[in-house]
Amino acid sequence: MKKAITAAAFVLIGALALSAAPADVTYAEGDASIKLKTGKLQDAQIGDTLNTGDTLRTGKDGLAELDQKGVSIKIAKNTVFTLMEREQGGQTSSVLSVTLGSIKFRYNKLTGQEPMVRTNSMVAGVRGTEFSVFSGDDGSTLIAVDSGQVTVESEGKSVDLAATEGVEVPLGKPPGDKFTVPRELMDYSRWNEDKLSAMLADPLAAMTSIESSLAEYEKNVADYNATYLEYKARLDAKRQKRLQISKEQGADEAAKYQQEVITPLSLQTGRLFLNARYFSLAALSMRRFVAGRLYVLLKSRYITNPGDPTWTQFLSRFDNFLSSFEQSIAPQLVVADI
Amino acid sequence: MHFHRRKLAGAASVAALVLLASCASLQRSWDQGNVETVARLINEGQADKLAAMSAAPFLVDGEIVTLKPDIASFWSGIVKAGFKVEGATLVQAAPFAADSYRQFADTMEVKSFFVQYVKKEARLLELGTSQSGKKIMLIFGDSWFKKTIYGFKGPY
Repeated sequence: MKKAITAAAFVLIGALALSAAPADVTYAEGDASIKLKTGKLQDAQIGDTLNTGDTLRTGKDGLAELDQKGVSIKIAKNTVFTLMEREQGGQTSSVLSVTLGSIKFRYNKLTGQEPMVRTNSMVAGVRGTEFSVFSGDDGSTLIAVDSGQVTVESEGKSVDLAATEGVEVPLGKPPGDKFTVPRELMDYSRWNEDKLSAMLADPLAAMTSIESSLAEYEKNVADYNATYLEYKARLDAKRQKRLQISKEQGADEAAKYQQEVITPLSLQTGRLFLNARYFSLAALSMRRFVAGRLYVLLKSRYITNPGDPTWTQFLSRFDNFLSSFEQSIAPQLVVADI
Repeated sequence: MHFHRRKLAGAASVAALVLLASCASLQRSWDQGNVETVARLINEGQADKLAAMSAAPFLVDGEIVTLKPDIASFWSGIVKAGFKVEGATLVQAAPFAADSYRQFADTMEVKSFFVQYVKKEARLLELGTSQSGKKIMLIFGDSWFKKTIYGFKGPY
């Protein structure tokens, strides 16, 4: 099944007329690397291009700046940024994913088709020109708008932010109350330290948020995947019919059928696959950079005291989480995603 | 003439066996040395050196640690927690194999980690400790100029 999905996907994705715009690296300093969607790792250098599926990571002394068709993206240290894409309203759109760390976005001109911004806990639609996104160690997000408007959405609730407004979105929960962003630079590191301390003080509560977030991704992946398989079967049947038309009515009729029936269905099928992939990759980001990091932090903390009830209870929940991920998300991933 | 040929072939076989045995013994001695090096660095609290020896991404049990600062935090965390590897001895060593990933976790992610990021010449080294029979496993690469830790599992 997985092989069939993957093979079909290349054809279908190739059939999509629109694809997300690439982003050019305009500045890179210190520890900044790119993981290409093929899985290859390389240092980030000025002039490099990030395409859909590529990830830029900065280390403790790393900085990078990207330009994506008029969007300036300033990536701070200890940040993980991925260029993704998904289908919405019949169009393939860019999604700028801030998995961890802090990024400042500046839209130099608004076209009405601005890429969405996502983190582990929210999706933001942009009608603004300048804002910052902070993606915390516990999966929470802090978003602060300098100018323009940003709509933040999570768990079915949305909040409109205007200039000098901000909001926090905890993982697996709706956005909190809006607050006024101080004019001076926001202290992201202090906010993140507090989030990390709270997560380590109560890892079981953190697991509840992680489980809830995974459940949401699983639902989306299952829904899109089921519809994709249905469309794929329909597409296969239509292709058989085209062969029959070609034999019985000739090449011209078969070409007409291809254009009128198969091509639109192929595009729709490709978009469904694209969205199933989008949610699978988003789940992988959350699993790697929130759940996995929590595991490793706790492991080093409890390595000399493995019988501690906090650790043993966490392990039991974590094992269930992993097993769920392995069953529902991993089959949608390929080696290069890892 | 025929007798000489047979004698020569016999001698060559013995030489090959001796060479193989000495290679195996040399390999075991390298593996033991590498195990002792990692144990010593942990016991001396040299987290920075361990981080510098670690590949990125790095495997901790079944978790892939992607970011270098996180790998450094792992080593400094276990050192800070007072973790020691007393009486480290090499229990067993095995070359990289297609199913090596199962020693860490039987998941798609760990299998992919081995495929993508672990060099084929790496070895799986299992350390015994004098601490209530607990063991540790390392994925260790030892080329002419560089020793690399790809992963750590345990104590188990």
